[in-house]
Amino acid sequence: MKKNWWKILTVLLLVFTVAVGMLSEVPRLAILNETIRNLYFHVPMWFGMILILLVSVVYSIKYLRKPSIKNDVIAHEAAKVGILFGVLGIVTGMEWAKFTWGEYWSNDPKQNGAAIGLLIYFAYLVLRSSFAEQQQRARISAVYNIFAFAALIPLLFILPRLTDSLHPGNGGNPGFNAYDLDSSLRMVFYPAVLGWTLLGVWIINVKSRLELLRQRIYENV
Amino acid sequence: MKMFRILAICCFMLGVLFAFEPTVAMAQDQMVEFSSAPQQNIEMADALRQDGKIYVVVAVLLTVLAGVLFYLIALDRKVGRLEKQLKDEYVNR
Repeated sequence: MKKNWWKILTVLLLVFTVAVGMLSEVPRLAILNETIRNLYFHVPMWFGMILILLVSVVYSIKYLRKPSIKNDVIAHEAAKVGILFGVLGIVTGMEWAKFTWGEYWSNDPKQNGAAIGLLIYFAYLVLRSSFAEQQQRARISAVYNIFAFAALIPLLFILPRLTDSLHPGNGGNPGFNAYDLDSSLRMVFYPAVLGWTLLGVWIINVKSRLELLRQRIYENV
Repeated sequence: MKMFRILAICCFMLGVLFAFEPTVAMAQDQMVEFSSAPQQNIEMADALRQDGKIYVVVAVLLTVLAGVLFYLIALDRKVGRLEKQLKDEYVNR
């Protein structure tokens, strides 16, 4: 219980996000209407994904500097949870787009960039599963993981800004920028980002411990 | 470490208090600019809130969240127990 205070914080933040996110006052904007509350659930998926994939990259670099099973396992589990968040982000984005942009998929640069980014990460999982030898698998997938993260950043944050996009914050589309994101939204948005990200970290924590246990049992047998 | 837990809970309570506090004070001294001006005749789920039905949705969402979180906590504790067991075996061998 001593080291687990952040898990309690996660629960509190998520309960806060759902309860206050649904009940608080939000700006009245045309087209968006009440869907503006998706800001507390769709956007944190992407913020969480980036932060969790960053954790994965950090552990991949740590593995290359000092090879250990622990670093490899955490990098792998973090990448998997990051992909889960990305898939949830793209699906919730499609649901939201259907009712505000008119189509589930309108080939928006942001949507396409996110889809390509996810495909690059799916390739990480395929690459990993194609090695039988543990050290080879760990080293090559660590190198690929760094490349994948470096490719994801321009796909999500640079390329969509260079052309017209329906997505807020891209291509001259102001959306939830400094003017729009008023303090009543921020009040829930920042706790939401922290809460969902911590939930991802929690899942990584449990899954890595389980994987390390599994490997230790194989060693002992 | 117990301090952390108490601190976290205090932060949470404060946050809830602030969020439920009517945003009157904010609205008076700082008007937020919107790229598309907020209008009064925008359809929002006001009726839903007036007759209280939104709380049903919040209750359902909280139930789902609680279920998922309890599952994760149970999983966490199971792994913790396994870790302990394996360590014991390792030490007593």
